[in-house]
Amino acid sequence: MDQARESEQKDEDYGYGLFPKRKEGKYKKGSLGESLFTFHNKCQVMLHFALETSPYAKFLLGVMKQSGCAAYKDRHFACEDCDGIVSGGFDAATSQIVLCQNNVHRQSHMNRVVTHELIHAFDHCRAHVDWFNDLRHLACSEIRAANLSGDCSFGNELSRLNFGVKGHHQDCVRDRALRSILAVRKVSPEEGKKVVDEVFDSCFNDHAPFGRIPHNKDYVKFSSHDFQNRDRYYSNL
Amino acid sequence: MKISLITTAGKKIIRAGPVLSECLIGSYTMRLKCIRFRLTSKELPRMTATNAVWRPPRMCDDYWNEFNHCKSLWNRFYQYYTFGTIPACQQWKDDYKACREWEKRHNAEAKELLQQSERARVAAQSKFAPVWKLRQKPPEDWHLPLNQEKPEEP
Repeated sequence: MDQARESEQKDEDYGYGLFPKRKEGKYKKGSLGESLFTFHNKCQVMLHFALETSPYAKFLLGVMKQSGCAAYKDRHFACEDCDGIVSGGFDAATSQIVLCQNNVHRQSHMNRVVTHELIHAFDHCRAHVDWFNDLRHLACSEIRAANLSGDCSFGNELSRLNFGVKGHHQDCVRDRALRSILAVRKVSPEEGKKVVDEVFDSCFNDHAPFGRIPHNKDYVKFSSHDFQNRDRYYSNL
Repeated sequence: MKISLITTAGKKIIRAGPVLSECLIGSYTMRLKCIRFRLTSKELPRMTATNAVWRPPRMCDDYWNEFNHCKSLWNRFYQYYTFGTIPACQQWKDDYKACREWEKRHNAEAKELLQQSERARVAAQSKFAPVWKLRQKPPEDWHLPLNQEKPEEP
């Protein structure tokens, strides 16, 4: 039993197989080859635009800065080629957000991926998240990221030809959290679903730092206002 | 590094020496608890000891804005899309009326209603046990430079 578990753990690559350039790249970073033969420059421009203009990203960056985890573009974000259809990831070992330059081609998609990964980074900053050993922690962060980043907005679900309305947001969050777990961990769909169901109530209702589910940028304005006035709020409760 | 603290005696600047330097990081509530723990009760009088220094947790206009936002068509749709229910917005309106009542007359009943309402909101958000343990300070390697030469271990 222990030997089987040991061999399972050795096979587990924790999703790093999807990001082969984390260890070595075909083109050296900053080289002409990287500029000419990859989408690296386009990714950098879109990333810069997302960090400067997306209300979600700006709010998360501000909150993380207040908590002691200021995120800098050059240190905490990396544009790389990825395998499969994955759009991005958060590497807890290096505290870096990875953006898949070969899979993200629209600014709206970049904004959403940056928000999604910043939520993972925020969770890493504020809690002892055991990304590699505790599936419940991974599931919780994926539920929160799918819930709060706009991944499951009505418009995005329509574009995926998912036509639910009543309570459909929760179904989408469950589904996307499960997909994310299955993409980076060698677990069965049944096991993944069980873990998602176990932590769903707690993590779906954890809206930090927004305080509410930000369905659009107006909700983010309310969240930002509440965050700025948090001193007055908590001292007068 | 100096920390500014609002006390009943007015604004007070406290030098953050080794005792308070640990209180500069982490979430807001953790920092506030840390500061209160480390200062003596003489240096930190109760901030809300009297009615004269208490203010509603939010500005009255915020309650009205929340009420309007709550009853908007888009919010009703989003609530139905997320929870399958219609939002209950009356509490925001009641809180706005209580806030205005407090502003005009410093009515103790209005203060009590507002505090109860906001505490209920905070309690509703903390209803479920967290999955993970919160940190006391940010991760130590957050700002460490990347080692590009060494391959990263998963």
